[in-house]
Amino acid sequence: MAKPLRDLHDVELAALSAAGGRREFGELVRRHSSAVRGLLRRMGAQPALADDVAQDAFLLAFEKCAEFRGEGTFGAWIKRIAARIYLKRRSKDARYVAEVENDEVAPNVDSAGRMDLDEAMKGLTEPERLCVSLCHGAGLSHPEIAAAINLPLGTVKSHVKRGLDKLRARLQSEPVAHGSASHVG
Amino acid sequence: MSADEFDPAIERLFARAPAFADSAQFEAGVAAKLSKTSRFRTVALSGAGLIGGVIAVREVLNVNFNFTESSASASTGSQPVAQGLSMAGVDGAQAVQSLLDRLGLSGFDMSSMGGMQLFWATAGVLVALLAAGVVKLSQEI
Repeated sequence: MAKPLRDLHDVELAALSAAGGRREFGELVRRHSSAVRGLLRRMGAQPALADDVAQDAFLLAFEKCAEFRGEGTFGAWIKRIAARIYLKRRSKDARYVAEVENDEVAPNVDSAGRMDLDEAMKGLTEPERLCVSLCHGAGLSHPEIAAAINLPLGTVKSHVKRGLDKLRARLQSEPVAHGSASHVG
Repeated sequence: MSADEFDPAIERLFARAPAFADSAQFEAGVAAKLSKTSRFRTVALSGAGLIGGVIAVREVLNVNFNFTESSASASTGSQPVAQGLSMAGVDGAQAVQSLLDRLGLSGFDMSSMGGMQLFWATAGVLVALLAAGVVKLSQEI
């Protein structure tokens, strides 16, 4: 008797998807869509664009499922695909390669004065936000980020370090609600 | 929290996916796009298979018929070959006619067609069936 889809491991689902199983791939979408959409928004994509890119990423992943061998997690794999698609779209504008520092945005805090990661990310400049997201969200190495966004390696390292410093400053003093997922519309 | 401890903490925060209210809508959107892509592929494969098959059948028949025509003057022994092709066409037509009857299209009378028309119609139907089979197989593999 076949196991229910929810009991299958991502690697099994990916193998079945590679054989054309759309129901199995639907389960993978169900499991990972929020993470991918969240990552793209953290990278600075507007919600509509983030969802569009996320959909394209899943469609591409379905085509390339046979290439996923389970060496890393499926989540990391699909995030990298999504990040690269987003960067490709952004490269048409070539705005993110500009070294112009954006004005910092005043962080939104709730009534208890807490700030979550998404809010804290808004306080980063666009290049910092992109580099930190790619590094810690999509799992790209510094050289990979430098190649992907066409910036010198040293600049990428600086953006990551400055971004992390800012995040630390914003998050450290505020109680972050661990174990509860933030709701995004 | 020290700076050294900070990176793993950030990674944990990044690993925690936010919950989206419209997750079901997003998943349905991906499923719809997948279906659309699959339909497009089916149509494209069917079309390509049909066209390719018809061209292939036509080329094969041209070769046979040319052979038949060129050898007809030299020998009357080619007559059975032409008769065989014609019989094959009639047999195929009968099979198609019975299929049409089963589908409720008995009003479409194939016996009124000429020998070559019958042959081509049968060949076309067979190629279409073959193309459909190949498409189905490609989707299952």
